[in-house]
Amino acid sequence: MSPEELTPRWLDSLIENLAPAELAEEIQGDLFEMFVKDLEVRGVRSARRRYVVNGLGFLFKRFFWKRLSTIPSPVMIRSYFKMASRSLLAHKGTALLNVLGLVVGIAAALVILAVVRFETSFDAFHSNADRIYRVVRVSGEDMSEFRTGVSFPVPIAMKAEIASLENITSMEYFGGAFIEVPDRSGKSVNRFQEETGCVIVEPSFFSIFDFRNAGLKWVSGNPHTALKEPFSVVLTRSMAKKYFGDAEALGQTLRIARKFDFKVTGVMEDLPANTDFPFKVMISYASYASLGGTGRFEDWNSVDDSHCTYVVLPAGMKPAEMEKQIARVHAAHTSEQLHKFRHYLLQPFREQHFDARFGNFNGRTISHETIWALAIIAVFLILTASINYVNLATAQSTLRAREIGLRKVMGGNRRNLVIQFMMETFLIVLAAAFLGLLLSELLLINLQELLNLRISVFHMLDPYTLYRVAAIVFVITVLAGSYPALIVSGFNPVNALKSKFTSVRSGGVSLRKVLVVVQFTITQILVVGTFIVVSQMHFFQDQDMGFNRDAIITMRLPDRSPELLKGLEDQLRAQSFVSQVSLSYTLPSGENRNRSYRDIGKPDANSMKDYVVYEYAPIDDAYLDLYQIRLAAGRNLTMQDSFRYILINETLVKNLALGTPEEAVGKELKMDKELVTVAGVVKDFYSNSLKEGVDNVVMYIHPRNYSVISIKLNTREANGSLPEVVRRVEKIWSSTFPEYIFSYEFFDENVKSFYAQEQKYAQLFQLFSFTFLAIGCLGLYGLIAFIVNRKGKEVAIRKVMGATISNILVLFSREYVQLIAVSFVLAAPIAYYAVDSWLNQFANHIGLHWWMFILPGAAVLVIALLVVTSKSVTAAVTNPVEKLKHE
Amino acid sequence: MPSRIYLGELEELILLIVALLNRDAYGVSIAEELKKQASREISISAIHAVLHRLEEKGFVRSKMGGASAERGGRRKRLFSITSYGRQSLEELRDTRNLIWDLIVKSAS
Repeated sequence: MSPEELTPRWLDSLIENLAPAELAEEIQGDLFEMFVKDLEVRGVRSARRRYVVNGLGFLFKRFFWKRLSTIPSPVMIRSYFKMASRSLLAHKGTALLNVLGLVVGIAAALVILAVVRFETSFDAFHSNADRIYRVVRVSGEDMSEFRTGVSFPVPIAMKAEIASLENITSMEYFGGAFIEVPDRSGKSVNRFQEETGCVIVEPSFFSIFDFRNAGLKWVSGNPHTALKEPFSVVLTRSMAKKYFGDAEALGQTLRIARKFDFKVTGVMEDLPANTDFPFKVMISYASYASLGGTGRFEDWNSVDDSHCTYVVLPAGMKPAEMEKQIARVHAAHTSEQLHKFRHYLLQPFREQHFDARFGNFNGRTISHETIWALAIIAVFLILTASINYVNLATAQSTLRAREIGLRKVMGGNRRNLVIQFMMETFLIVLAAAFLGLLLSELLLINLQELLNLRISVFHMLDPYTLYRVAAIVFVITVLAGSYPALIVSGFNPVNALKSKFTSVRSGGVSLRKVLVVVQFTITQILVVGTFIVVSQMHFFQDQDMGFNRDAIITMRLPDRSPELLKGLEDQLRAQSFVSQVSLSYTLPSGENRNRSYRDIGKPDANSMKDYVVYEYAPIDDAYLDLYQIRLAAGRNLTMQDSFRYILINETLVKNLALGTPEEAVGKELKMDKELVTVAGVVKDFYSNSLKEGVDNVVMYIHPRNYSVISIKLNTREANGSLPEVVRRVEKIWSSTFPEYIFSYEFFDENVKSFYAQEQKYAQLFQLFSFTFLAIGCLGLYGLIAFIVNRKGKEVAIRKVMGATISNILVLFSREYVQLIAVSFVLAAPIAYYAVDSWLNQFANHIGLHWWMFILPGAAVLVIALLVVTSKSVTAAVTNPVEKLKHE
Repeated sequence: MPSRIYLGELEELILLIVALLNRDAYGVSIAEELKKQASREISISAIHAVLHRLEEKGFVRSKMGGASAERGGRRKRLFSITSYGRQSLEELRDTRNLIWDLIVKSAS
């Protein structure tokens, strides 16, 4: 084999293509000469390697590029720029359509990127974020119950008995608290009801969660010692301002839950918005001994889901190893029945933002799948905007054939033309990106609520965003610009000058069809998906949940003493706008309510599996009437029934196999080792959202356990004067509980908030499908405008020959009806698959029917047809003489 | 001195080699000579880069030579030193000699 055949061909052609001819010759000559010498001394492999290394070396030298005659001089760049902007101005309409489509696409994509960035940034700023794990509780025979609560003794034992544990911290999030600011004499001067943000934490919290890269600073106090002592509290800066104004907060006193005085030992900056620790008032864990008694520290059995434990594993340790250690410790302290049933496992800490099974203190998770779906939609947005550009540019290229031909005849080579076209694309995309950036900023500000976004975290003009914008500009320019540039620059100048292209369908047409189909397939998937998501949301809102939710306001009761509550109830009943009042432990449903679960079984039950878990619901005799929960059998409870008689729901009847509701009435059951009698059976109602099934419920009279009061308003009296009604309720409430702060809630809002997240998705879906439809229609409009223009003469002749207006309209729309029908056929199965799996995660959902696909599909078709006809009708009604006399 | 001469260390070395090789200086021959005389292994692309710089600054001139079989039928670019290049080298040498003399004097 001769040496020529041994050199790597790709490198030769690389140099040949990139370097100007004379430079390529000497470089290749030198490389070859060295290669021949190496071949003798070192052998083929080594010679080839050196050839590649040496050859590639040239690519990194400035002179290699400097002499390239194809790198345009400033004069040439200015000329390209001028040409491009002139041609854009010459085709203003198309340019505008292009820019508009791109602006919408880019802005929407940027908004999505901001959301994706925000969601993936949660709690990434802690130093050892990847080594932190949350201890989670998975229980049940089939390990099907996922919770976060950890029994109090577990972390204590872990700390003492697992040597390899690097660090551990426990906390109990109790959300709201009643907080008073006492003056020097101890009299409370200011009162606040905090609904969220209160937590009890160990001092190690700040050594594990250091918020290092978020730059969290302490205003005063020492993070290492602030929470060591009992009755210490650390506040965020805005809380300190709220309680103490501009006065120094450190050393001041706060009274929490009316009884306990805490000393402020630290003030820190507000925690960033992208953390799942939304803490504002942090109380030292050491206060527990005085707060809840020490009993909880020996109770391995009971769990509270707001008590969580986080651990730091040593570098390199697998979580499974640590899980084994935890299981060992747990087994050493508990009965077999418990530790075979309940398992403490580790969840990577940052997963708490993505894993809905366990949730987090923020009460909001977003699945990885959702984030991926968003990212895919962003890509599709860019794609569909680029498709518009390609379609319009190729369609238009025939118009420009003469220009191209002349350029070529005058000595412009293909490279110049490609550069010119890319330049045009680049200018359009750049303008669109700039406007898109502004629009996205505007959208982000207005959509913060919908997107769960706190924009303050990032600045729009920070390098991250600008890099993304630059990348988007580059990708679209290449994606959208290269195909038209290659097509157009490839025109044969002779044919082009003879205007042969105007009647010939160039290869661009079939590609255009494909692109339109792709575009409308994506759009149809979204539109069909949106239609079904919205239908499901209506189902959630309108479905009868087994109780009445209209015109009911509810208030928490800070004091449970029966005499006080009786007085409150009587005063409220005396109001003309009140039609019913009920006291209870919890509400029949709603996102925000007490939940408590216990065990119930038949009288002969003795082992754990004979019992079923039920929701415990102390009520009064007005409860069923107020919420219109219907009795299936038996009677309502009276206040004299006390603890001896209970109401159960149909699901519990079924789960305990008590027969029919009628048969269940009068049966005895065992609760907490006591026997009770079923007084009545209520029809099932959804105490959870419709996303889940019906739970077992037991209701009974238990006056010492009422914590919420429900008021059914007399709609005729209360109508129109709601603020006045609330004011009067407040007055009565405040005279009963003068030391507390009044707050109320509408029951229907409470139920609605079950679906807050789904509601947001539904709105997002609507936005996205609207965006896609808008971009698609813009593209269609551009295409049809162009075709109508080209076919002016054809239409005129057809009309002269006797074609009617509708003939002409059919002529223009036939093709698009076909394309959109094809895209519907492609979209329907994809949409079916996606929607079906989405619906199946809900226990109660609408059935899928064929018309749910056909209807939105037809709507898209109609909209597209409207766009097409709106433009083609002008051609159809023009007097043919106008078009034909120009010859 | 009319103006200061900007000549890097490698530039000066390669300029010297071009002068030494006299009409037979091109990429590969310079690389080999550099290795022989100065035990320096410089990549061929770096040598080309330096030669282009020297030509830009006017220290060397070049013309295309004849094709040869050992180069796969490709021509080589032959470099020769210009009088400005030679003069600059001499000036540099003189300056150095002057300073060395002073160093020797002050040391003794």
